[in-house]
Amino acid sequence: MKKLFILLFFYSNFLFAHPVIYKDGFVLSSANMADYSNNYLMYSFSQRFAVGVDHWRFSQDDNNTEMGLLKLNHLLWRYNGHDSQANIYIHGGVGVEDREIGTKLTRGTYMYGAEVDWETRTLFTSLKHYQFQEISTTQARFGFSPKETPFESLQTWFMVQGMIIDDLNEKVMITPMLRFFYHNVLWEVGSSTRGDWMLNLMVHY
Amino acid sequence: MKKLILGTILMMSMSAFAAEVNVKVSGMVCSMCAQGIEKKFKNESSVKNLKVDLDEKLVTIHTHEGKEVSDEVITKLITEAGYNVAEISRK
Repeated sequence: MKKLFILLFFYSNFLFAHPVIYKDGFVLSSANMADYSNNYLMYSFSQRFAVGVDHWRFSQDDNNTEMGLLKLNHLLWRYNGHDSQANIYIHGGVGVEDREIGTKLTRGTYMYGAEVDWETRTLFTSLKHYQFQEISTTQARFGFSPKETPFESLQTWFMVQGMIIDDLNEKVMITPMLRFFYHNVLWEVGSSTRGDWMLNLMVHY
Repeated sequence: MKKLILGTILMMSMSAFAAEVNVKVSGMVCSMCAQGIEKKFKNESSVKNLKVDLDEKLVTIHTHEGKEVSDEVITKLITEAGYNVAEISRK
């Protein structure tokens, strides 16, 4: 059960990410699974850096875990090509973790990580590696859009995500999903091959 | 003939005041991310409206009559939105 909690926690952490956006832009995000929620607010004080708060909650039976982090994201490198864009980001955060698994435990915690992505108007791929206090995670995503959609139109993407969480599951967890975005709103709906549903929402403003 | 001349003069004067700036932008592949371009220019008082064309990687800026937006300002705002300016041309 403990492993399930941690699995859900880290699973949600990789759902989607726009670590740094345009200068003075905010990202509000909510990710939800059956026994889990994650909400964060990030502010890009430049086109290279973003700071924010990140709150996690997940529960299963009588067990609950909550975590609050102060985060700093940095766009380390960006390639702006004619028909593509590539990025390298690094992340860091510190906070407090409150766990109630049999007994209650409150402790400080941290995370750091890196991710790289590349996208065109019809292809997307990303690779991320995060190191937390006790666990490291690696996630890859691939997606495609069936057509090049105009700027003002609803965008539809078919995506698949694979992830390995060290010490928790040796197998790659596969999650097919649909991603939509319209103007400044993005939402994703999916279900893992294990049957865990996924529902995510993100707004830029 | 008189109306034609007046019409021509009127058209010429309108085009002289309502400027159109075309900006070729590199890296503009994600429409959600490109919303940042609209947001950055929205606060620019000289800009009347703006159109983003992902097919052409083109941002078309229309300014208010008698107003201009400099290349430096355009480059700054596009950079702050996370992109690179490839070319700026004016009509």
